[in-house]
Formats: sequence, structure tokens, C-alpha cells
Amino acid sequence: MVIRYTYNLKHSLDRLSDMFYWPLLDLLIWGVTGLYLAKLSTHSSNYLFIILNGLIFWIIVWRAQHEININILSEIWDKNIVNIFVTPLNIYEWILSFMIFGFLKSLVSVVFSALIAYLLYGFNILVYGPALILFFISLMLTGWAFGFIVAGFLIRFGERIQTLAWGGIAIIIPFSALYYPLSILPHWAQLVARFIPSSYVFEALREMLFTKQLAFDKLGISFGINILYLIADIWFFVFMFNKAKKIGIGRLI
Amino acid sequence: MFQNVLEVKNLTKKFKDFVAVDNISFDLRHAEVLGLLGPNGAGKTTTIQMLLDLMTPTSGTISYFGKDLRKHRAEILKDVNFSSTYISLPWFFTVNEILDIFARLYEVPDRQKRIAKLLEEFEIDHLRKRQYFMLSAGERTRLLLTKAFLNYPKIILLDEPTSSLDPDIAVRIRKFLIKERNEYNVSVLLTSHNMAEVEEMCDRVMVIKAGKIVVSGTPTSLTQTISECSVELNLDNAKKASDFFNSKQINFEINKSRFKIKMDEKKIAEFLALLSSEGLEYTEISIFKPDLEDFFLSIVKQKND
Repeated sequence: MVIRYTYNLKHSLDRLSDMFYWPLLDLLIWGVTGLYLAKLSTHSSNYLFIILNGLIFWIIVWRAQHEININILSEIWDKNIVNIFVTPLNIYEWILSFMIFGFLKSLVSVVFSALIAYLLYGFNILVYGPALILFFISLMLTGWAFGFIVAGFLIRFGERIQTLAWGGIAIIIPFSALYYPLSILPHWAQLVARFIPSSYVFEALREMLFTKQLAFDKLGISFGINILYLIADIWFFVFMFNKAKKIGIGRLI
Repeated sequence: MFQNVLEVKNLTKKFKDFVAVDNISFDLRHAEVLGLLGPNGAGKTTTIQMLLDLMTPTSGTISYFGKDLRKHRAEILKDVNFSSTYISLPWFFTVNEILDIFARLYEVPDRQKRIAKLLEEFEIDHLRKRQYFMLSAGERTRLLLTKAFLNYPKIILLDEPTSSLDPDIAVRIRKFLIKERNEYNVSVLLTSHNMAEVEEMCDRVMVIKAGKIVVSGTPTSLTQTISECSVELNLDNAKKASDFFNSKQINFEINKSRFKIKMDEKKIAEFLALLSSEGLEYTEISIFKPDLEDFFLSIVKQKND
């Protein structure tokens, strides 16, 4: 199935460009905005680095979630889902293929974005050292977890709710505190953010960027919540898949 | 060797109060071609979806090769395949890419060799690099059939396998299916609205209506249940003949001097004697025995009645 989704890249400019085009555009627009803000500030490049940090690391969450949902939709759009599920492929192998493909695409996209950020603005994500891997994994888990919630609804209700594939994850952006500290948020939003694992990662990223200290506690909490969410959300996806089978997978074509 | 490669027992599918499939039981025998017929909405597609584990039955069991489908799904589906004109394949992929993916999913050994052989069998080897969306309807159907035979299936479920094909290609596909059955003992369950095709290919036919199997048997045995023949003859004196048939309350259709009358096979001799006694001479006569289509129509008519 990973090969099947890789073939999509070859034939769809959409699927190829979303790895490079949008990250590049974001980095250009928001990078320049960051430069301007840096000029207005005495703290020079901090604004810029906070923005670039948010942009680059959010790609991981976005890609991991989006690849799950868009690949399910591609089977529905192609009327191919029946062909897939008359093969011996089981639901867990399908889930694994989404995760592997999402991981690979995230990696390529993040490396590309990091390279652009370094070349254009001198922002080097390698400053995080080995902790970078932990940040990457935790954000990947967040993307997968939220991806499987949306996937559950897609497999049950089909393309009529496909907009969730693009906009579903956006609901956690304000609470993830990509570009600002959690303390800026109103109290109720801070309470919500406690349940959003990516909020701990972005807090830890900023902390490490400015203090060089890795906030193990925050990272630990994010991993704990992520693992719980991922298990629950995969269960939810399988549950919705079985619900869909009650009325027939064939109706999705 | 299992005599029955597929056994369905008391299969039922309910959607709230609507019973789509109502407690059906049947089997598919080794190297048999079984036709599943029925009017639209009879429950054929629902049954096929359940046979492929695309839909969960409300109750009943499905077992292939003596193994329960729900418990041994992956193992069973390695030896089963499916094709339907109602499904599609990845739109922008080339023929070779599509087949390569499915060959991998079925873990087909030496997959490129198998793909090449089947593409040749279905006469689409020249389309190997063409994208799916550029294929004609007939080429797509042949590609779906190629996909369906990739894994050397022991059982194949075909939903309208030759619809949208040119007649000459349809004939070749039917020959291929029969050859696969004869040479490799493939068992086939097929649905079709082409009764001539069903009659030609199927060893046994099952008619499903309102979710129930109403009749099952060989195509010949089913057609023999209808005794009504169609007699067509040219009568020189059409006016006199029409008056005579009306007086005897014999239903007929007329086109110029050609009459078409439906009657029990056993009464044909008596009818011809009656014509002779009335001095009605015919110049040409044809007697059409009932075929599977007549049988199917009689079943549908019973439903409507």
C-alpha cells in the first residue's frame, strides 16, 4: 500500500506539490513577516525564529494527519476501496501503510523546509540536537492520532464530509501555541491546551530554543497523551470501519 | 479436495426493518459456474458484498474451503477474487502500475510474468503504459478481469463480467472463463443480465427475488419448467385468420401476415390441425422453445403480479 500511495505522487501534481510548494510559500511569506517583526524589536531574530519554528514543526502534524485522510479519500475518489478490501489486506496493515507513508512524506517535507529556512533566514533546526528526533516523533504521533479520528468519520460517511481532511486538524492549532506561549491564551483555552499534546511540544521547543534546556517533563506529558490518543483513535477508526461494513463498504463507491 | 468450495448457510441481511437478504443457503461446487440471477434490488449485490466480507451479515455463516470467512478472512481472500463493472481503479495509474500493486497485495510470485501472460490473454498487452482514465469502457472491463485473475484464484466472483464489451471480445472472455474452469478448476459465481451468456456458461443457476432464493437448477431444467412456446407463422388470409383466432379467443400478435401465438408445447399439434380444418394455410412456421430469458421474465412477472 505504501507503493500504491507513492505512485500517487508520480501522477498527481497536487500530492507532490503539497510537500514542497505550500511549505515554501509559507516560509517565504511568514519568514519575511518575521524579519520585519525582528526589525521592529530589540530582540532581533527571536520573532523570526519563533515563527519559523512553528511553521516547520507544524508541517509534521499536518502531513501525518493529512496523508491518512487524503489517502483514504483517494481510494474513495478512485472507486478503488472495494478492490483493496477484497484482497487479503487487513485494516491494521492499511493503518500501518498510512503511518509509514505519512512519516516518509513528513520527513521529506520537513527536511526541505528546514533547508529553505537555513538558506534564507539562517535558522538551523539542528540546534535541537538529538532532541529533534523526540520532537519529531511526538508531533508525528499527534498527527496520526487526529488523522485517525477524521479517518473514522471519512470511512463511515464518505466524501460528503471530505472537508474534514483539510480543515479537521486546524481546530487544534490555536491550542497548540505554535507562535506564542500558552500563557498568552485565555484561561479556558489554556485548560483545553492541556489536553492537546502538541502544545507541550511547542512549549518545549521554544524553551529549548532560548534556554538550550530540554523540558523532559513537557515532552514526557506529550508522549503520554499522544500514545493514549493514538490507541483510542485507532480503536475509533477500526470501530467506524466495522460500522461502515454493516452497511457495506461498496456504498462508498 | 472440497466438493463445496463455498457454503452459505442461513445468510440474512437486515437494514433496520428492510430485509435485503432473507435466510438464504446455497453452495458453490468445485469447478462449477454458478449464475446468480434476479431483478434489480433482489439482493444480489448485497449477497456478493457479504461473500467478500465487504458487508457484515446480520446472521448466517459463509465458509470457503470449509473455513469460516470471518475467522480466516486473509487466508481465504488469497484464493478468491472479484470483478465488477461497477467498480473502478486508480484513475491516473498506468495499467502496469495497477496490476503491479494488486499483484503485490496478493503476493503473486513472479508477478511481472503473470501480468504479462494475463495482459496477453485479455488482449490488452499493448496498453501496459496507458493510464486508466484513457482506456475505453471495454478495455477497463478487461483490465478489471486481468486484476481478478492475478492471484490464480480458486474462486472468482464476477458481477456483470462482459457488460460494456464488444460482442467479439465478450465471446473471447467467456471462452477464457470456461478455459480457466476446465484447466484450473476455478469455481465461478457470476451475475449477469445477459441470459444467453448465463445459459452458455453456467452449470447451475440460482434466482434470487426479494432477498430469497426462489429457484435453483441447471439452465435446461429451469427452462423446462415453462411449457409455453411461441409459434410464428405466415398465414395467407390474414383477415380470415384474425377472425378465426378472435372467435376461438386465441391471443395473437400480427405483423402484416405473420402471426405470433403463445401456447403450451403440447397443444401445437392440435392448433395446427384446427388451422387445417378451417382451411387456413401457412407458408412458413417457426416454433420458439422457451429459453432462460423467458424463465427469468416469468419469475419477474410473478413478482409484479
